[in-house]
Amino acid sequence: MPKVDITVEVCGMAGDGTIAAGGLVNEAMSLGGFSVLGFDSYPAEIRGFGRCVTRSRIGSNEIGALADETHILISLDDLQSRSRVPFLARDSAVLFDSKPDTLLEEEQSLAAVVEPGTALFGIPFTYLATAATGTSRGRNLAALGGFAALFGVQPEWFRRVITRKFQSKGEKVLEVNLKSFDAGFHYALEKFADRLRPSFAAANVVAGPEKVMLSGNQAIGQAALDAGLKLYFGYPITPATPIMEFLAKYLPAKGGRVVQMEDEIASVGAVLGAFYAGARAMTATSGPGFALMTELITHGVMAEIPAVILNAQRGGPSTGLPTKTEQSDLHAAVFGGPGDSSRIVIAPSNVAECYSFTVQSFQLAEKYQTPVIVLTDFYLDNRVENVVMPVASEKEKTDGNLYPDESLQGSYHRYLDTESGVSPRSLPGMEGFAYVATGLEHTERAQPDYTPEIHTKMTGKRHRKLQYALEDLPVPVEYSDGGQLDVGIIGWGSTFGSIQEAVNMARERGWKVAALKITSIFPYHEKEIRSFMTKCREILITELNYEGQLANLIGHLHRKEVVRLNQVTGVPFSPSAIFSKIEALLQAGVS
Amino acid sequence: MTARHVVIIGNGPAANEAAISLRTQAPDARITIISKEPIRYYKPHLLPDLIAGKVSEQDLYVNPLEFYKENDIRLRLGQEVVHVSFATNEVVMEHKEVVRFDGLIIATGGKPRIPEPLQVFEDLMLSLKTLSDAKVWKERLRWVDSVLIVGGDLTSLSFTKAVLSLGKKVYFILHGDSFWPVRFNEELSSEVSQRLSDRGVEVISCRKILRLVMASEDSVEVETDGRKLRVGAIGAFFGLVPDVKFLARSGLAIERGIVVDEFLRTRFEGVYAAGDCAQVYHPKLRDYWVSIGYRNARNLGRVAALNLLGGQESAETAPAGIFQLDDISVNTSWWTEF
Ligand SMILES: Cc1cc2nc3c(=O)[nH]c(=O)nc-3n(C[C@H](O)[C@H](O)[C@H](O)COP(=O)(O)OP(=O)(O)OC[C@H]3O[C@@H](n4cnc5c(N)ncnc54)[C@H](O)[C@@H]3O)c2cc1C
Repeated sequence: MPKVDITVEVCGMAGDGTIAAGGLVNEAMSLGGFSVLGFDSYPAEIRGFGRCVTRSRIGSNEIGALADETHILISLDDLQSRSRVPFLARDSAVLFDSKPDTLLEEEQSLAAVVEPGTALFGIPFTYLATAATGTSRGRNLAALGGFAALFGVQPEWFRRVITRKFQSKGEKVLEVNLKSFDAGFHYALEKFADRLRPSFAAANVVAGPEKVMLSGNQAIGQAALDAGLKLYFGYPITPATPIMEFLAKYLPAKGGRVVQMEDEIASVGAVLGAFYAGARAMTATSGPGFALMTELITHGVMAEIPAVILNAQRGGPSTGLPTKTEQSDLHAAVFGGPGDSSRIVIAPSNVAECYSFTVQSFQLAEKYQTPVIVLTDFYLDNRVENVVMPVASEKEKTDGNLYPDESLQGSYHRYLDTESGVSPRSLPGMEGFAYVATGLEHTERAQPDYTPEIHTKMTGKRHRKLQYALEDLPVPVEYSDGGQLDVGIIGWGSTFGSIQEAVNMARERGWKVAALKITSIFPYHEKEIRSFMTKCREILITELNYEGQLANLIGHLHRKEVVRLNQVTGVPFSPSAIFSKIEALLQAGVS
Repeated sequence: MTARHVVIIGNGPAANEAAISLRTQAPDARITIISKEPIRYYKPHLLPDLIAGKVSEQDLYVNPLEFYKENDIRLRLGQEVVHVSFATNEVVMEHKEVVRFDGLIIATGGKPRIPEPLQVFEDLMLSLKTLSDAKVWKERLRWVDSVLIVGGDLTSLSFTKAVLSLGKKVYFILHGDSFWPVRFNEELSSEVSQRLSDRGVEVISCRKILRLVMASEDSVEVETDGRKLRVGAIGAFFGLVPDVKFLARSGLAIERGIVVDEFLRTRFEGVYAAGDCAQVYHPKLRDYWVSIGYRNARNLGRVAALNLLGGQESAETAPAGIFQLDDISVNTSWWTEF
């Protein structure tokens, strides 16, 4: 059975229904049983203007990254789509509106710039939609009809997802969309009868258990809901805002509240306050907001108050690249803050982990009484994957707090220096267990004390409990066939999908290459990382930042200098870039 | 003249020869080839062999796509010109794009011709001009075991050979004006008839086709003034007419083709026609001739390019006399035997 691995792009101007069309492609192909990874991009500043592009990688096998090239471009706007031509594969196909309302200059025309190896399919989207429904509103759907006909996508898949999407908007709207889709479908089927490329049909994919399209941000929002979030405090910032929007929509119905604060300092302060009082709370931000939170995060560390803080990384320092992706807040997440203020930092690498790690972060924060930082990035937050809807188990949702034993009433030592460093924590209102949560260094009984002995002891306690936390933190996952390896790649976060694919490409060639995924950034599993490194001649650490921040953190565990592959283009790593590096390392090893 | 942007409509031998001559002579010119077929330049004379399974599709292609890149020739495939405005020097494409030109070479070749009395049956007949036509034939011939050929132009003979080689039965109705614009004479007609019969083709003599009906998905019923038969497919082979309908209201003089002088100039400055679509004035004959044939098309393409750049070359290849095709003498001289 031929394998399918096809990237489809929809490109248009804001207002063309580009994002909606791309979303329907994802939904329909997912319904058909394909793996789908989608990522939309739109211009930096405000979403309402300019070019919109959706990219969907559709495969018969599992997919973990975007591909380098696009195979099918559905253009809803000639001028905007011209910019996509350099990304088209050699034997790609372009669908475009062949009967626009006005004449086009050569400089505006897409057909004028596509390479001759690209198959052009002119379909009069606007005309077909208007003829079928009396309005051109469905022209994006006519385009999808053409796409389905040309590439062997069952029209029923589209009809079902169109119905699902537009049903609530009334019969008329639904009809316009369905009819427009059908018009495009029949037109292309007939007009291009001798040029059809039924690649999707040929894959004979069988639909498995029902999957949903979920973005990283939606998965995080849903996880927070499922984990019993009571309060969300936040201040909008790209790319974290959708989490707040999601929760604003669904949290109130569950008895919770979303509060927009005056800034990020207030947000994290309120989260600490809520957790202090025993309620699950969270905030989500990005680099600039995270920087503002630093002082209060260290307060959480010092006073041992739980908090869940999501840092959705974007590019560059300061305002930087608001709508681009980067993994450059690792140092800030792990070390950002004065005074030995270690905290837990975890980083999901895909949408499913966005869900499970967020659920887990509440328990971790409660159990280890420290802020937990979940590090995601623009690419992970905004990409959509089709996943079986994740459901947190009761065990994963239970209260992680360790409450003091009744018998200690009256003799309660809030910061008791236990073997694990974790001391039972009381909540306000528990009679006989009151204490002052202070940011000053303090004794076991929470009294301010700056003596060398106390500071040494309590600093040790706060660090010790993090080492204990390792047993609850997700362990590194090794993707290897065992045995000695020439190159071992270590990665984290959204980059890992690309790493995995590059490793698969290398393995297909019989090369001894493997990958290790690290999701617990701090504390990290030293033993497991070392044991992987020992098997590898070269260690390559691949990440989207300038210096190699993970490499700085764990590189010393290897017996020789680790090799770094870094990229700060604002776009995700392509598997082929990583593959080339592997190839170069292997060649260097041979010579 | 230094033509800044030369647009060439067509992607056959005339167009390609024109493009490469332009590139050689005018290294700085911007050259665009526009072709409605979505495929690169191929050899039509190999289409019968493709049908016979003797060559593969790859064997048909002339230049790889890199050739155009290397020569900085923009190749726009699968894009049709629907109008040309000579007042503004603009070509209008089917998808409503306007392309401006400083020089234009029209090399749109021909399209299958169906004589008027048969036009009512057009839907039931297949022709053979493009690769896409050949693919339709190839597919059809997988299912059917007989073919009726009506007409008798030059391509019909190599096509007949191809069909016979596949073990199919061939019926033939020879038509007097198959060699349009040259007429079949009695002598030639009987000669061709004889050759065909020798090969096992059943030549049907009739004056008129009365009825054609679809009998089933893969058979057509034919009734002539003398006979009734059922065949798998019908092919119409009456030569080609210049494919210039899109220029009908452009102001160009069009008779049997685009009327050009011996230098291939049309009445508009900087606008030339070459290949099967041109009707060329021949000073020695003191008449116009319509070119047909591969090599001839290439020659005209080259001449048009040179003259567009200021040359004064005459397209004097002329009807040179009798030509042998498949052992049959044909009074059409521009056809090249491959
Ligand atoms: C089956 C077959 C067998 C043949 N065998 C022989 C043989 O043995 N010997 C021989 O000498 N000749 C043979 N020929 C004839 C020969 O191929 C033609 O004479 C020659 O191809 C003419 O070249 P041309 O460049 O003028 O036009 P063509 O080759 O017909 O090319 C015309 C081009 O114009 C394009 N075009 C047309 N209209 C438009 C438009 N409006 N917009 C954009 N593009 C347009 C078409 O897509 C095509 O690319 C044969 C032809 C056929 C069909």
